[in-house]
Amino acid sequence: MALLELASVNTFYGRSHILFDVSLSVGKGEVVSLLGRNGAGKSTTFRSIIGLTPPQTGEVIFKGERISGMRAFRICRKGVGFVPEDRRCFPDLTVRENLEVAVRREKQTSSPWTVEKVYSLFPRLQEREKNLGSQLSGGEQQMLTIARTLMTNPDLLLLDEPSEGLAPMIVALLADMIIRIRAEGVTVLLAEQNLHFCAKVADRGYVIDKGSVKYEGKISDLLGNEEIKEKYLAV
Amino acid sequence: MTGFLDISFLTVQVLSALRLAAFLFLISSGLTLIFGVLNILNFAHGALYMLGAYFMFWVTSQVTGPGGFFLAMAMAPLGVALIGMILEMGLLRRIYIQEEIYQLLLTYALVLIIDDLAKIVFGAEYKSIPKPAFLEGAITLFGGTVPTYTILVVVIAPTVAALLWYLLYRTKTGKVIRATSSDREMADALGINMKALFTLVFAFGAVLAGFGGALAGPARTVFPGVGTEVIIECFVVVVIGGLGNLWGALVGSLLIGALETVGIIVFPEFEMGLIYLLMVAVLVVRPWGLFGKPLKIKALSEKNLSFESQEISPVHFSSRPWLWVIPVVLLLIFPAFAGRFYQYLLTQIFVAALMAVAFNLLLGTTGLLSFGQAAFFGVGAYTVGLLLTKTGTGTMPALGLSLFTSAVAASVIGFFCVRLTGVHFAMLTLAFGQLIFAIAFKWYGFTGGDNGIQGIPVREIPLAGLGLLDIGSTKSMYYFVLVVAGLAVAFLRRVRSSPFGATLKAIRENGQRASYLGINVTLYQWTAFVIAGTFTGLAGGLFALMERSISPEIIHWTKSADPVLMTIIGGIYTFVGPAVGAVVLIVLNSYIVAWTEYWALVLGMVLLLLVLLLPGGVIGFVNEKARDYLTRSGWIRRWLFSKSATS
Ligand SMILES: Nc1ncnc2c1ncn2[C@@H]1O[C@H](COP(=O)(O)OP(=O)(O)OP(=O)(O)O)[C@@H](O)[C@H]1O
Ligand SMILES: [Mg+2]
Repeated sequence: MALLELASVNTFYGRSHILFDVSLSVGKGEVVSLLGRNGAGKSTTFRSIIGLTPPQTGEVIFKGERISGMRAFRICRKGVGFVPEDRRCFPDLTVRENLEVAVRREKQTSSPWTVEKVYSLFPRLQEREKNLGSQLSGGEQQMLTIARTLMTNPDLLLLDEPSEGLAPMIVALLADMIIRIRAEGVTVLLAEQNLHFCAKVADRGYVIDKGSVKYEGKISDLLGNEEIKEKYLAV
Repeated sequence: MTGFLDISFLTVQVLSALRLAAFLFLISSGLTLIFGVLNILNFAHGALYMLGAYFMFWVTSQVTGPGGFFLAMAMAPLGVALIGMILEMGLLRRIYIQEEIYQLLLTYALVLIIDDLAKIVFGAEYKSIPKPAFLEGAITLFGGTVPTYTILVVVIAPTVAALLWYLLYRTKTGKVIRATSSDREMADALGINMKALFTLVFAFGAVLAGFGGALAGPARTVFPGVGTEVIIECFVVVVIGGLGNLWGALVGSLLIGALETVGIIVFPEFEMGLIYLLMVAVLVVRPWGLFGKPLKIKALSEKNLSFESQEISPVHFSSRPWLWVIPVVLLLIFPAFAGRFYQYLLTQIFVAALMAVAFNLLLGTTGLLSFGQAAFFGVGAYTVGLLLTKTGTGTMPALGLSLFTSAVAASVIGFFCVRLTGVHFAMLTLAFGQLIFAIAFKWYGFTGGDNGIQGIPVREIPLAGLGLLDIGSTKSMYYFVLVVAGLAVAFLRRVRSSPFGATLKAIRENGQRASYLGINVTLYQWTAFVIAGTFTGLAGGLFALMERSISPEIIHWTKSADPVLMTIIGGIYTFVGPAVGAVVLIVLNSYIVAWTEYWALVLGMVLLLLVLLLPGGVIGFVNEKARDYLTRSGWIRRWLFSKSATS
């Protein structure tokens, strides 16, 4: 059984219909990527899963349980971790405080994430422990938002465009970290525009455009599929 | 001026400023905390303060002596916290997804209700609260005599501030509160239970207000309505400091405490205006307050966008203009059937309706909540009043000039206000309004001060070649106001349905998108502000003519609430809504005031029910129901859809 399952999800912002019958599934232990251009609907899919913009029709099933319709904090406590695209760390909290406020599900997890454990994954954060969120660089903010979400001990991590706007060196580092996070037993759904970044970390991928899924398959197949790349991805 | 260098005098003044700042801080820290997390500017915070003082009064009257005093000190914050929790869980919680204005209005309704309930339970008179003997006296400090109680207050407030700092910066809950106030949505997604946190924070804010009331009660006095005075001062404090920022509240309290103390000594005639002047000055330089940051949208979930069905009238007046003839004819023949009282009542309604319809060009059409419309009403009224009493100007030129002066006032005030949005906009308009109120109230030489202007002569109007038109009688005044206000309303309707109006609506729906489309949002908002202000001034001018006397009361901020209430009662997203609201409010008022002295209580209840049950107002409700009914048959549905698609 899949860990996460979206069945014909339709989502609206006010009157505008954004997602059209989006269906996808993520198996336990996988890294799956959601690819698409600007405005394709990747973030909206994530917001539909985490419950910030709940779908109007369709279902989101997580670990066999219907989570669509639940409030975001409940979905988080079920084990879905959301890392938003615009690096929203709490600007007035220190790095450590940012991590502390997110502690969740320690009892349900066999070896829970601790501040020390995420510091070992992101040593840079430890150096900047006492700095405020607003004082960090873009790359550090990205690390902090990922680390913060890890503190909620998610079984599934929704990563929204983590590589956007980062220097190539940091992007390479990031790919490494995703692989290490996966090794800790966390399943990852990764929204990206950057196919090559996905190819480093993901097994399968979905391509989304104008709010509907256009392609589904192995990343390796996608790399060779010039038509899809041409049509739906900015290469 | 040697007095200022005197150390004993200085000691006394500094301590009295600190005492004032202490009270302000206790109340506004809770206010700003609630705003930071819940995003609600809680009008009822002053009422919670008042309840704290009444708790103090009640407990000390049951248990006398120092024991009773300290028991009361402990019980008042807890009692108020309990009330706060009930209010949040029972009422506020229901409307978080609504737009800001409904939340403001709900807390405003609570003020009306709580004030009148206090009047019923404790009576309207001022109550003084006994202090234990050891806090009664005064001590001598650097040669100045300072009440012992002042020392207590000045010591306790910083202690509370330190405690607050500890709670917010050293405890997990405090960190969660700070996180939530900077990004509510993110906090939600990280598993923080907003519902529980909101209740907690509201209750905690209530504790601070209750404690402030308990501490201030014995030093000041308590009476129904004291909260309304206190809350406005605290609004000034938190807006100056930056909404939602605790340090802002601290600095704001100290600034206002100092300014009021110095103002009383140096500039007593304008003491009241000084704090508004400071607020205007701060906001002009730093629109988000000294420590504030621009608010980003921190939606709890998508805002309630279900009003479209209410906005569109099921009957299309524009396609069936003759439908307008019916009400017009009814109004024209009305005086033939109704006596002078009803003619007068209707004339009042015309003036109020004009003000409300003009106001709604800002709120309903453009999405800007002005809390200072009374200022333009006052400018118009005083222009007519002063010109007619002090000069020989004719009635029509005076009325014309009232359009001009209020347009000038609105252009200037609007220039500063439209740079802000939401609550900040509302607060800046309120500050400008109070500034104009203070001028009218204190400038005896020009405006007559708090006496106002009496006996305004209403001169006959020369009609080219047709003699003179006398509008002195109730009936002729009725027709005169009907025609002038009617033309103005017709003009405003044209504005709303013009391309200009459509652009305003686009700005209301999504200001960001509008600006991406190349629309100069600020310019459009400013123009709407000026049009609304100008016609509000005209309403004021008509008011001066029909009443023949005016007083600064008409400029007070509580009068600015009138068009807001009318609009909400009638329906915010419809053109006739505000006019219907004017009818409801004025008719209700004139009957209920005759029947009970608790008009505020009744109004508060009406508002509460309306906000909770009919957020689209009376007309919105009618439209929705009528549509439901009409759309049951298919051809009407098709007809409606083709119409609404174009509107
Ligand atoms: N709050 C909103 N209100 C209305 N429309 C929105 C809102 N947010 C996004 N949209 C629209 O929804 C569509 C999908 O946006 P979404 O953010 O999901 O795309 P995306 O794939 O994440 O793009 P990007 O790569 O730019 O992040 C876009 O057309 C966008 O304009
Ligand atoms: Mg996105």
